Amino acid sequence: MNTILELRHVSKFFGGLAANSDISFALEKGMIKGLIGPNGAGKTTLFNCMTGYYPPSRGEILFKGTSITGLRPDRVCRLGMARTWQKVRPLVKMTVLDNVMVGALCRVNSLVKAREIAMEQLEVVGMAGKARVIAGGLPIGERKKLEVARVLATKPELLLLDEVMGGLNPAESEEIIRLILEIKSRGITQMVIEHDMKTIMRISDRIVVLNSGEKLAEGAPAEIVANQEVVDAYLGESNA
Amino acid sequence: MSIITEIIETLKKTPPARLLTFLALTGALFIFPQVVDSPYALHIMILVFLSVIMGGSWNILGGYTGQYSVGHAAYFGSGAYATMMLMQFREIPPWFGMLAGVAAAIAAGLIIGSICFRLRGPYFVLASIAATEIMRLSALNLKDLTNGAEGILATEIPPLSIGSALITDFSTKAPFYYIGLVFALAIIGVTWLVQHSKLGYCFQAIREDQDASHSLGINPGMYKQLSLTISAAFTSLAGSFYAVYIGFIDPTTVLSLDMSVQIVLICIIGGIGTIFGPVVGALVLVPLSEALRSNLITQTLISAGLVSEESPVGQFLKENLAHAHVLIYGILVVVVILFMPEGVLGFLRKRLAERRSKTA
Amino acid sequence: MDSSSLQPLLLFLQSLISGILVGGVYALIGIGLTIIFGVMRIINFAHGDIMMIGMYLTYNLFTLAGIDPFLSIVVCIPLMFLFGGLLQKVFINRVLNALPQNQILLTIGLGLIMSNTMMLIYTSDYKILTTEYSSGSFSLMGLSISQPLAISFVITAVITALLYWFLMKTDMGQAIRATAQDRQAAQLMGINVKRMSIIAFGLGAALAGTAGALIAPTYYIFPQIGSSFTLKAFVITVLGGMGSVIGATLGGILIGIAESLGAVYISSGWKEVLVYVIFLLALLFKPSGLLGKSRM
Repeated sequence: MNTILELRHVSKFFGGLAANSDISFALEKGMIKGLIGPNGAGKTTLFNCMTGYYPPSRGEILFKGTSITGLRPDRVCRLGMARTWQKVRPLVKMTVLDNVMVGALCRVNSLVKAREIAMEQLEVVGMAGKARVIAGGLPIGERKKLEVARVLATKPELLLLDEVMGGLNPAESEEIIRLILEIKSRGITQMVIEHDMKTIMRISDRIVVLNSGEKLAEGAPAEIVANQEVVDAYLGESNA
Repeated sequence: MSIITEIIETLKKTPPARLLTFLALTGALFIFPQVVDSPYALHIMILVFLSVIMGGSWNILGGYTGQYSVGHAAYFGSGAYATMMLMQFREIPPWFGMLAGVAAAIAAGLIIGSICFRLRGPYFVLASIAATEIMRLSALNLKDLTNGAEGILATEIPPLSIGSALITDFSTKAPFYYIGLVFALAIIGVTWLVQHSKLGYCFQAIREDQDASHSLGINPGMYKQLSLTISAAFTSLAGSFYAVYIGFIDPTTVLSLDMSVQIVLICIIGGIGTIFGPVVGALVLVPLSEALRSNLITQTLISAGLVSEESPVGQFLKENLAHAHVLIYGILVVVVILFMPEGVLGFLRKRLAERRSKTA
Repeated sequence: MDSSSLQPLLLFLQSLISGILVGGVYALIGIGLTIIFGVMRIINFAHGDIMMIGMYLTYNLFTLAGIDPFLSIVVCIPLMFLFGGLLQKVFINRVLNALPQNQILLTIGLGLIMSNTMMLIYTSDYKILTTEYSSGSFSLMGLSISQPLAISFVITAVITALLYWFLMKTDMGQAIRATAQDRQAAQLMGINVKRMSIIAFGLGAALAGTAGALIAPTYYIFPQIGSSFTLKAFVITVLGGMGSVIGATLGGILIGIAESLGAVYISSGWKEVLVYVIFLLALLFKPSGLLGKSRM
């Protein structure tokens, strides 16, 4: 079975506001799916529903064929779907290594093994030298990389990246793109929320477009760029 | 069991100087009553041990897991009352009563936790205070069960024998000293174990960012409750120990907000979230408290000639400073929060780090 | 008020009325706490002890200068306002950006200092302030109404109305509300948020002290009386919504009624437990208050 994730008619209401409205799509294993849309389109809300931060008001979410709708975030993580946060959330008083170990402890109970896994992930993101640094002292670029390392340590099969390039300079963004492609080469499926259209075009196999809580379009990057409705939705938004 | 091998490995990695110092100090503490004859000195040490247990147990929940309960008197009181009630009303020896106390405290913790852990930050603090106040008022009102405001007075502690051999009849302070020492070492050991295990990582992750930890596979509800269970159990042991040693309890001493604040204070003075913070806190608070109680400070001021014994100030100090220890606690809380929020250990650590970076 | 000789309905109405009257004073305490929280996001655990100081101030003015407690409010309000402002400037201001747990611990410490200092000065003996009307009551539709409670209710109503007018209609009141709503935005608009914090704490203290003055004729006065009022104040503000003045007013009256009915129908020993149980229920199920908002 090649479908790793399926959303069926997912809606999320906050009071009277429909943050997500009847969203359906599927992810194939190993692909990178871009999730784009203007500010307030409901992208992070969707991630929150998928990972159990809150349950969807309607609809179903199937991960590897089984329903995970409304499961708690820790269960979702252990089943193999993990996410990063739009506003980075390092464990500020702990070291870089300890941060990643927390992720690794999702899979192992031994501190020794967790340390091994953590160091591996730090190598992948290129921060092995900063293992003993207190996370609170890191600049934003490294905090983002730390967050990726930490979430990789949970050995996800599906990784949700929420604007992981937000606030980074071009050099830092290149590193993240390299990382995303590296992660893909390891067979991990990814869903990426990003504002920068050029990046999304480069890395995505397919793209889903949200607007005002609804799914506006879905397709290959070339199709999406040619889609007039998508262009209209972004009218006024500057293309980087 | 790989956990045990891991523990041994970690111990091996500890700098030998530190390990030796710790063992030497522990050894000295064990020999202390054989060498020092003064019951007063033993009494002070017992109070220090008691404070270490109280502060150390709170540390697990408040320091490591970040849940600032200001209602820990609930568990202290559970242990104290369970032990005393069983000993005085049912003639059950305190070493069994203690276990009942632990069970009662864990039960209380499960109930209080299920209410309070849904709340965050200051609301958690307030709820923990309210829950303990409910317990205190219940103890006051359920006079048939607890003697209400009159409290329970211990008439006699049964002698401890194993088989036909008498171990102690509790007529001197020495048995209390050793029990206190063992409990204090136990909580230090448990704290060390927590810090060097997956538990410690999960606790601290929850403290730093509960939602982020949740998304990383940690179930906050379960770990917070686990932390509280450990914390409540040891706080209850402290309460049982206090009850049998002091010999009298009532709701105003063992279930009050003052007691909860004192427990927190021991920990924050020393430095929360560290293994030896509570020890430092105990070593600061107990001598200070005793110095006040025994008029040592007043006497020193008088003999130093700073204050005349006959002057109104002198008379005032003599009569009142002894009762002022809660006032001093209040002042200490304010001073620590304003100037040393990381506690004495944290303060020293920062100074050392600054000095190191200057010379680096 | 001989409860055994009243019919059940009369008994109920009686307790209801006295609950409402006491509730007015509770409301004052709650409003003070909620203003402090609204403007500074600080949970002031010393609130009841500030009230206690107001009680002793009133007591001293009465015993030393013969000033009637209700009249001494005129002196009490400005003095307590200054006291609160001082507390804010010297202590509270330093922890505005600290962890909420540390903020609470600081105010707990301040409260301990206040109550234990008073204990050193006055001992923990209960003091009683008796005026000619302390046990006076009058009859209204067959119900007996306590005179001092009735007078304090009227005064409370007047003060609450004045406070409301101040917050809604004056420049400074609106500045305070702006600071409560969005501190950064208020600062950008040119409001001196530091001064607003001092004023807010002063206001809170003045209200708490006034409440103390109002209940001085009817309650025992002793240094430890503060803590139960602090907790009650929290129940009130949580019920009413942290930061909502109207909410605190309603909450105060509700708690007054709950306590009064609780004392009559359960027992006076358990009435405080009832209040705390309500508190926990409110925190669990209606954390933003019965009115559903947490703003001024």
